[in-house]
Amino acid sequence: MSRPVEATGLVKRFGDLTAVDGVDLHVDEGEIFAFLGPNGAGKSTTVRMLVTLLQPTAGSARVAGFDVVREAGAVRRAIGVALQDAAIDPMMTGNELLQLQAVLHGLPRSVVRRRGPELLERVGLTAAADRRVGTYSGGMRRRLDLALSLIHEPSVLFLDEPTTGLDPTSRQSLWEEVRRLNDDGTTVFLTTQYLEEADQLAGRLAIIDDGAIVREGAPATLKEAVGSPTLRVDVPAGQREVAHQVLLRFGPNRPCREGRVAVGLDGGAAQMAEVVRALDEASVRVDHLELDAPSLDDVFAEATGRRLEGATE
Amino acid sequence: MTALAVGPTHGALVVRSLAMRGMQRILRRPSIILPTIIMPVFFLVAFTGSFSGITNIEGYGTDNVYNWMTPYAILQGVTFAGVGAAGMTGEDMEGGFYDRLLLTPGSRLPLMLGPIGYAMLRALIPITLVLVTAIVLGGADLNGGVLGVIVLYLGALGTAAGFACLGLVAIYTLKSMRALLAIQVPIFALTFLSIGQVPLEFQTGWLRQVSESNPVTPILEMLRQGFLGAVTWDQTWPGIVAVGVLILVFGLPAWFQLRRMAP
Repeated sequence: MSRPVEATGLVKRFGDLTAVDGVDLHVDEGEIFAFLGPNGAGKSTTVRMLVTLLQPTAGSARVAGFDVVREAGAVRRAIGVALQDAAIDPMMTGNELLQLQAVLHGLPRSVVRRRGPELLERVGLTAAADRRVGTYSGGMRRRLDLALSLIHEPSVLFLDEPTTGLDPTSRQSLWEEVRRLNDDGTTVFLTTQYLEEADQLAGRLAIIDDGAIVREGAPATLKEAVGSPTLRVDVPAGQREVAHQVLLRFGPNRPCREGRVAVGLDGGAAQMAEVVRALDEASVRVDHLELDAPSLDDVFAEATGRRLEGATE
Repeated sequence: MTALAVGPTHGALVVRSLAMRGMQRILRRPSIILPTIIMPVFFLVAFTGSFSGITNIEGYGTDNVYNWMTPYAILQGVTFAGVGAAGMTGEDMEGGFYDRLLLTPGSRLPLMLGPIGYAMLRALIPITLVLVTAIVLGGADLNGGVLGVIVLYLGALGTAAGFACLGLVAIYTLKSMRALLAIQVPIFALTFLSIGQVPLEFQTGWLRQVSESNPVTPILEMLRQGFLGAVTWDQTWPGIVAVGVLILVFGLPAWFQLRRMAP
């Protein structure tokens, strides 16, 4: 049986710009797969090709067993899609949008009558169902978008940056819903620029940068591959070079935000006392010091040589 | 996966839903329809006021300027209604909602016919409003009787569909509301360089040649006949053909552009 999502050598060019450059990926049945990368990395372009909104310049992809170019209609029948920015008409109510979505997917009225209230309840929008979407908060819009994408019970669900711009509570509630859906057997393909989101939700992920996949695997495996924890030290501007030289004796340089010095601490936490002594002997005044277990940001940094934009250190 | 097989019934339901969605927007944001209402009524009042005596000249076929100008104002109204309906597609594209429509399984044709249906429903508003204004303010005669009114409505609705297709060509090509600015010149050329204000017999030179070959001219003859006298097949069929030409000439490129954008 074919996999829910399978792409080979996927390329998308817009004139001289290559937005997606030979992406190979697959998603297994029942998996939550995260596509992680900074803005402009090619995540959304890849998703738009997979959901048939864009035609690949080269390469091929199959979704739910159908070719995204030759069998686009069959792909669209099988998938649910919640695109970036929750593209919903602000002048319509939640109920009206659900009904329109049902008509678009050719669902009989009896199904809409049953599924509509179920879905609204599931995403916590029953009370707001007859209000215009223009009055909804960002989180409510995203939840409605999710409900809309589920009206025809798709086997594969694509979520393009579903929590971008949401407050932490709304984000948590959306994550819970995604987990529930996955528990019910829906395969989820999720794009995100949030490390925590990928870490929390994904069974497997791919990191994309400049249109190409730079790492792929289970989050734990990828983090393990980075190896040592990251030591980050804040020192006065004039002492950064000295501090850097001292720290390099304990492990390799790691990218970090401006004004900081970071290395991979090969000896782990046991080496901390030694590091502090070495910095003291070099007369470096340490303002702040922290040691973190390898994170997906470290995986990203190790693969690309820079930190993910907006990632916390 | 709960999905019904897509087919003509599904297509018809999608067309109806999209057309009704447009009408619902008018109810919720009446400002959408204002230009479509104000402009033709303004045309009617301004032209009949400025040229009130023009129909005293022999050749107009009536001595009531409202009989001459009302179909022209209605034509203006349905033009705005048609192009404005295409504007909804432009708004959907700019706001991202169109992606939701493009993710619909099945043919793309209902996605194009939906806005055209909306244009026709929307056109009912200026047609009726201008007609009522002309009867109330100017005592416009409905010499063609019920048949004249039916021909007026059907012809005007067909014209709205044609201009909606023109709007859709522009929107599908430029994927923005700004596209509608680009088609203002051809729209005004089509409506003004016709027998809108002056009968063909009074036009000379290039103006007459353009008017003669302009599809809007037979459409206006078709719409106007019920005001000037009885409805005849001779004045109706060229109008029907012209409406068909408008729909084909603008509808086919719109369809090809949509298919190019969303295969």
